[in-house]
Amino acid sequence: MSYKPDEGTLVAYLYGELDAAETERVRQYLEQHPQIREQLQQMGDVRKLMGALSDVEVIAPPVFVDHQQNSTPFWKAGYFKITIGIAASLLFLLVAARLIGPEVTYSNGELRISFNNTTPIAEQEQQLTANEVQHMINQSLVKNNETIAGSWEASNQKIRESLQRNLDNNSARIDKLMAVASQASQDQVRTFVAGLQEENLKLMKDYFQLSAKDQQMYVENLLVDFTKYLQEQRKQDLLLFQVRMNSIEKNTDQFKQETEQILASIISNPEGAIRKVNNY
Amino acid sequence: MAETLPDIVMMHSDALLERARQGDKNAQGKLVQLWYKRIYNFAYKFFFDHDLAMEVSQKTFISMHRNLAGLHETARFKSWLYTIAVNYCREELRKRKASRSVSLNDFPAGNEVSYRWETSSGRSDNPEKQLRHTELSDLLQQCLMELSAEQREVVIMKEYEGLKFREIAEALQVSENTVKSRMYYGLDGLKKILEKRNITKDTLGYEL
Repeated sequence: MSYKPDEGTLVAYLYGELDAAETERVRQYLEQHPQIREQLQQMGDVRKLMGALSDVEVIAPPVFVDHQQNSTPFWKAGYFKITIGIAASLLFLLVAARLIGPEVTYSNGELRISFNNTTPIAEQEQQLTANEVQHMINQSLVKNNETIAGSWEASNQKIRESLQRNLDNNSARIDKLMAVASQASQDQVRTFVAGLQEENLKLMKDYFQLSAKDQQMYVENLLVDFTKYLQEQRKQDLLLFQVRMNSIEKNTDQFKQETEQILASIISNPEGAIRKVNNY
Repeated sequence: MAETLPDIVMMHSDALLERARQGDKNAQGKLVQLWYKRIYNFAYKFFFDHDLAMEVSQKTFISMHRNLAGLHETARFKSWLYTIAVNYCREELRKRKASRSVSLNDFPAGNEVSYRWETSSGRSDNPEKQLRHTELSDLLQQCLMELSAEQREVVIMKEYEGLKFREIAEALQVSENTVKSRMYYGLDGLKKILEKRNITKDTLGYEL
């Protein structure tokens, strides 16, 4: 009786996950070991108790089906991008190499990577001494100074000449202008004065003509008026004279009649006539 | 396990899995519909918390959707799915331990009556029976929560999810013996916890 199932086997037995042979062996073992069987029995009870713990009801959330295209086009695939990337870099390198023309040489233990074949100039330059260089610099400086001075002189001269020329031109032009202006003014004054005189003359003539005519007319009118006045005056005088004459005539007639009456009365009645004359 | 027989058949249908694996959105949707309740209940029993269970379930199925194409053996789908779920459960557990915040809802009520029991599950059953059942479920769930996380994983997978020891070993990526051993000590631990709380077949017999 050396067989003793371990915990795992016992659990597997409890859940019936042992094969037939193993199950049988455990069953036999349990028959001989009641306390182990009791223990397993209690575990079975625990399972039954725990079995009362039921599921919680839950509703699965709705699943949103997205219509995203899963099949990516080949130009978006990773391997394609990588291949294109490598090809592009190689092409770039080749083009760059063609343009730059790199040269890699190894001689005398010296590795040299160079671009463009510009080799011998460096050596010639190295043979120049410091003095020569100084001399060259000085020479070039002197030459430079000379050139600057020369050009300065020339430009100075040019400026002066152009100034002079401008000055001459301007003064001549101003003189001419002045002359023209003065000439013009003499003529203008003359014509102006003549015009003025003519105008005055004309004005005077007109004035006199106009005034003479007016005066003539005025005087004529005056004469006419005066004659009219005189005629009127005479007419009125005549009328007045006639009236007076008439009244005198009337008075004379009345006096004549009275005289005749008195005479008649006197003749008829000399006494009465005398009294009457006395009374009268 | 309340799934109907056709559902169970579909859950293990190679054809469905193959179609889902090849990117058939409808097949993937069907898989989610079929497995959601299982994964949710696994996580719920692990945490005894609806929100965490929802979170883990959603993460699990998002991960499934992303990685399904990489699954070569459709036969291993079940353990593969539980691997994902277990990993998210462990992650959440680490987060909760790190933050050290304890929700009042999860505070162990001891022998006192927890107010959580008063919450109605809204089923249109006999209310008294319903309440007793809810009480019992919560009581057993609390017992389960007293186990270590490692033992709890194995117990839930074996007892409620019905995985074989081999599948659990695959899901947890440990040896089959380790799984069996954890199961043994898990059951042993539960027995002690139930005894401590004086929950026996006799005291609960009228309900079972």
